Amino acid sequence: MMHQPPVIPASSGRGPVADLSIVAAVELGGAVVLGVFLLADDPRIIVALLGLMGAGFALLQFRPAIEERIVAAFRAARRAAMILGAAVVLVYPFLMQGSSYALHLLIIAQLYSVLALALNFQLGSANIPNFATGASYGIGAYTSALLAINFGVSFWLTLPAAALVATFFGFALGFPSMRTRETYLALVTIAFAIVIHQLLNNFSWTGGPNGLVGVPAPVLFGHSFADPIELFGRRLPSQANFYYLSAALVALAIISARRLHDSRIGLAWNALRGDELAARCQGINVVWYKILAFAVDAFLAAFAGSVYASYVSYISPDNFTFLVSVTIMTMVIVGGMDNTLGVILGAFLLTMLPEKLRIFADYRLLFVSVIVILFLILRPQGLFPQRPRSYGGRE
Amino acid sequence: MDAQLAQYLMNWLVLGSIYTLVALGFSLLFGVLDVIHFSHGDVSIVAPFVVLATVQALISTVLPADSIAALVLACAVAIVAVGLVGVLLDWLVIRRFRNAPAMMALVATVALGTVVRELIRTFYPQGSNPKPFPRLIESSVTFGDLPVPLFSLFVIGVSVLMVAVLFMVMGHTRLGVRIRAVAEDRNIARLMAIRPDRIFAVTFFIASAVGAIGGIFFASYAGVVRFDFGVQLGLIGFSAAVIGGLGSMQGAILGSLLIAGIDTLVQATMADGASYRLVFSFLLVILVLVLKPSGILGKPIMVKV
Repeated sequence: MMHQPPVIPASSGRGPVADLSIVAAVELGGAVVLGVFLLADDPRIIVALLGLMGAGFALLQFRPAIEERIVAAFRAARRAAMILGAAVVLVYPFLMQGSSYALHLLIIAQLYSVLALALNFQLGSANIPNFATGASYGIGAYTSALLAINFGVSFWLTLPAAALVATFFGFALGFPSMRTRETYLALVTIAFAIVIHQLLNNFSWTGGPNGLVGVPAPVLFGHSFADPIELFGRRLPSQANFYYLSAALVALAIISARRLHDSRIGLAWNALRGDELAARCQGINVVWYKILAFAVDAFLAAFAGSVYASYVSYISPDNFTFLVSVTIMTMVIVGGMDNTLGVILGAFLLTMLPEKLRIFADYRLLFVSVIVILFLILRPQGLFPQRPRSYGGRE
Repeated sequence: MDAQLAQYLMNWLVLGSIYTLVALGFSLLFGVLDVIHFSHGDVSIVAPFVVLATVQALISTVLPADSIAALVLACAVAIVAVGLVGVLLDWLVIRRFRNAPAMMALVATVALGTVVRELIRTFYPQGSNPKPFPRLIESSVTFGDLPVPLFSLFVIGVSVLMVAVLFMVMGHTRLGVRIRAVAEDRNIARLMAIRPDRIFAVTFFIASAVGAIGGIFFASYAGVVRFDFGVQLGLIGFSAAVIGGLGSMQGAILGSLLIAGIDTLVQATMADGASYRLVFSFLLVILVLVLKPSGILGKPIMVKV
């Protein structure tokens, strides 16, 4: 939080300059690796980068002290880290050499980050299985597309409308969670996801299997998001509009994730995860917090759905299958439950790997699944596991 | 009896039998290992592919074309092979999640299912295309004036037999006692000189082999098989096992008959029933779980301090 006094953990203590340079090195290094990865066409470069990333994670795995040091540096120089991070995100499209493909990948990765963060409230914080995030994503996308196409409603109004509709469904889905749990609850959400997908596929007013075509792009202050951005004499492809929009959405998701995580709600969810019965004995309204988790998940997922619909301007039921939900779930688990950065990293990795592994052509899905399984075996706690809460006291 | 009605009843029983064979595997594995083996459907659908490949290999080498022996032999090979595939997957992947949270195992086996599907798609010749699959038995018999395909009777008969054998094995043999002991408490079972790992392997073999029979029947019933049929078969088998009550074999049968029932009913009574059958099947799943949170025959979840 911005208003909290900076924490200076004991493991730091090499002065602010060291902290700042570590933060800068990690953020800029990450940005450079991502940029080269996005723009690379040569399979050798991609494989080499993947090897580099693998080595990096192996290093973190076997030398936890390095991870501790980096985390300590980020804690000490929190404000600088945020400003630098925001600057990198803002400048990034200008460095993509006008490649609309790279921007497209970034947009999709950001939307999946939002979805994964949405699911993280449930799966990560409260350990409630939910295989219906893809369905909420779809409900959001369809609501906003139908409103825009049939009634000409502006994108900025369809966005909250879609979120409301999806939240309503989220509440409805949350109700069975009062009685069922674990595997049985997982099946309820799977069944819900399949029912939604099948209904979208069968209703005529949702366009059936053909989906909806011609979702208009948002317009902001007379600037249509379908037009390229011209700024400082540089011209950015039209995808840049949606890049900034989805980046804003990710920022919103991160802020809500942090606020919720540090609030009583986040604590209540963690208590639920630890032991439901004990939580109930502590006076936590278990049912309410479970349903709330479903609603928050649906709310954020619908935002991502609206942006997706207006970005690709064409949606069909197959964008929102049960397997999409499984992918989102994998992102959360691979990234690290209840760790915002980890979840985002998981989303980026799992969106970009299949795209960039096109050199493996037919084998890429196989390859990605094998990587996921290996990951779950080798690092079951995820890339970055949850950190203990710190309430700003000096250690 | 109305011929149409008899037809629907037959379809219901055939579909229910096929689902039962798959659902039993889910229930057995959950009962013994506490693990959701989400790739079970995909493993089951490997069987028809093994059958097709084996038939081709046999008739091109030793046996004359369209001999029934080739088909029978191929089915036997497929059932054993798929049983071994189950054991292999357990040994390679699933056993590493024995003590992990349930969701880890679930996600890992979903990924494993993708691996199985993709292996079929990439390594079976022209694996992405649907493959025609023969009816195991073509002829039919007539009761009164109703023609009944022998295939349907065969599917029902084999399923009943398999269920009977499974109940026999679980209830009245040393192996069954061991499996139940490990399911009850694997540490105490170990003290009784039972090796849990061996029991896990045997359970995986039984579940996958029974699933393989279901997979072969499913392909034969549809007349065609594709690499991704396992997703739906697995989802329906899983749902049947869950609404019946995980870990209960009777529950798996009941759940399968329920889902097959609503499936047949919707197709029989609604104009475009074929496109809404999944909607109603899964609405039923939600309804059952809202009313009976741990399945129809499942033990209620008790929270003790």
